[in-house]
Amino acid sequence: MPDRKRQAHYFSKRRNYKAMNKKLFAPFFFVGPHLILFLIFILIPTIYGIYASFTQWNLMNDPVWIGLANYKTILFDSSSTFHTQFFNGLKNTLLFVVISVPLLIVIPLLVAVALEHKKVKLKGVIQSIIYIPGLISISAAALIWLLIFNKQLGITGNVFHSQVAWAATQPYAWIIIFVITVWGGVGGNMIIYRASIAGVSKELYEAAEIDGAGSVRRFFSITLPSINFPLIYTFVMTTAGAFNVFGQPLMMTDGGPRQSTHVLMMYIRQLAFGQGESIAGMASAMAVLLGLVILVISALQYYVMNRNTR
Amino acid sequence: MSKKVSISKYIAYLFLIVLCVIWVIPVVFGITTSFRSQTEVVSSGFRLFPKEWIFENYVAILENTSTAPILRWLFNSVFIAVSHTLLVIVIISLTGYGYSRMNFKGRDTLFFTLLGISFFPGVVNIIPSYKIIDAFGWVNTSWAMIIPGLAGMGNIFLVRQFMKGIPGELDESARVDGAGDFRIYFSIILPLIKPVLIVCGLFSFVGSWNDFLWPVIVYTDVDKMPITAGLLLLQDIYGNYRMIGQLMGSAMLAIIPTLLLFAFAQKYFIQSINLNSGIKG
Repeated sequence: MPDRKRQAHYFSKRRNYKAMNKKLFAPFFFVGPHLILFLIFILIPTIYGIYASFTQWNLMNDPVWIGLANYKTILFDSSSTFHTQFFNGLKNTLLFVVISVPLLIVIPLLVAVALEHKKVKLKGVIQSIIYIPGLISISAAALIWLLIFNKQLGITGNVFHSQVAWAATQPYAWIIIFVITVWGGVGGNMIIYRASIAGVSKELYEAAEIDGAGSVRRFFSITLPSINFPLIYTFVMTTAGAFNVFGQPLMMTDGGPRQSTHVLMMYIRQLAFGQGESIAGMASAMAVLLGLVILVISALQYYVMNRNTR
Repeated sequence: MSKKVSISKYIAYLFLIVLCVIWVIPVVFGITTSFRSQTEVVSSGFRLFPKEWIFENYVAILENTSTAPILRWLFNSVFIAVSHTLLVIVIISLTGYGYSRMNFKGRDTLFFTLLGISFFPGVVNIIPSYKIIDAFGWVNTSWAMIIPGLAGMGNIFLVRQFMKGIPGELDESARVDGAGDFRIYFSIILPLIKPVLIVCGLFSFVGSWNDFLWPVIVYTDVDKMPITAGLLLLQDIYGNYRMIGQLMGSAMLAIIPTLLLFAFAQKYFIQSINLNSGIKG
């Protein structure tokens, strides 16, 4: 304990000062740690990432400002490998998004609706089975699925007598990427839809049933409109996630055959962290372009879907 | 009418059963193959269960401590995921309290500014993040995976929403009794937000355990990496499917922790969703 006399002496003088200090200190105690983390690991890297895209940078020395040169090369210089890589990566990423996103919306929705059926039993067990692959890491899942699709040793070869080298032949290389994506990705959205459908008023369904509306009709005129917010939410989030696809093609096909499943994220990692000298400036420019594509598409999705449901 | 119900019932069942079979096969196949001998895998065509259950694959996996130190990887993963989860819980509860319970100038402006910035696609910050981790000397250490993820806004948003549902009279009366912010946070708010903290903690654990892109970038030292990055190496080490049983056994060891977590905390995994759909209101 500090000396009592001294304390009393300070007390009156310091009261206001202390109260003010406390007013600033207390919020900082609660919000400050995260604020610092946010600055260091989100704000600064994001700004620096944009800045780096205008530079030549090898991750070791200081970046050298070169203006729009990286973007010019990537977008317009058709003799450059960066140009070919970027557009090949973008094409493959878009292909992945366009096919995987509808699957990751429609299948979970169908499962949720089927599970909502009054007569279906063991709902909890079925739900768990479909949810569990979402808890498995892509690297572990890929080892198993690759074995299943192995020509000599797997299930496809031995049971279905398929003589295809799946990972090395198109369109099979894409098919195994979609299989593992759907397998791992259905559970999360399914749970969101189930909870949303459970929240729709039962009376609506009963009234519709009395009016003679079949189950298909009920799905389109009651279920779908009632869960429109979760639908927009999952649509935007699933799409943004799909643009960041990396693990599935890396593990399943390593970008092959002939780079036909090589997605943008893989090129970005390869340029920045791959063998040889890092080309981080160029990789940053690709990352910024990919980020812009994601932003524009998310905004469009949100705008269009929100307008159509109003 | 009743006939119609039964037809739709069979369609629903058929769809769900087919899906469940497809969903279960890889896991069952992975488990059983990890107990098969290499000669059986190569020779006998497909059978769901092994002719003879053997444990040699697991013995061999655990004995290989040089090229594929799987126990080391599992330990790294556990250390990373547990530390990350605990820190997440501390940070999001403190920060959530700050942004929903305290009054300071520009509080909501600050919160929504951060939230807005965090929507900016994360691809852009990966390369500089690596540079920052490098500057801290964290490359090839567990900190590289424990700390950066704490900066996210998603969980804080959920906790803040949840706290807004707790009536303000509770803290008012405590304040009258002379309790300060820290007391209110610790003895009133913290017990009440336990459910949302558990949910965020579970998802942080699973997310950290299964993270793939970041560890592949940050770790080059075989002894320091978590299991997800380790499994990528295994493809080469047990290469070309010459040691399938060991490959499968390793994959099984990697998925056990999250599946155990699910087995014990299933209701929280399923509950999370109410939080998600709660975003609307």
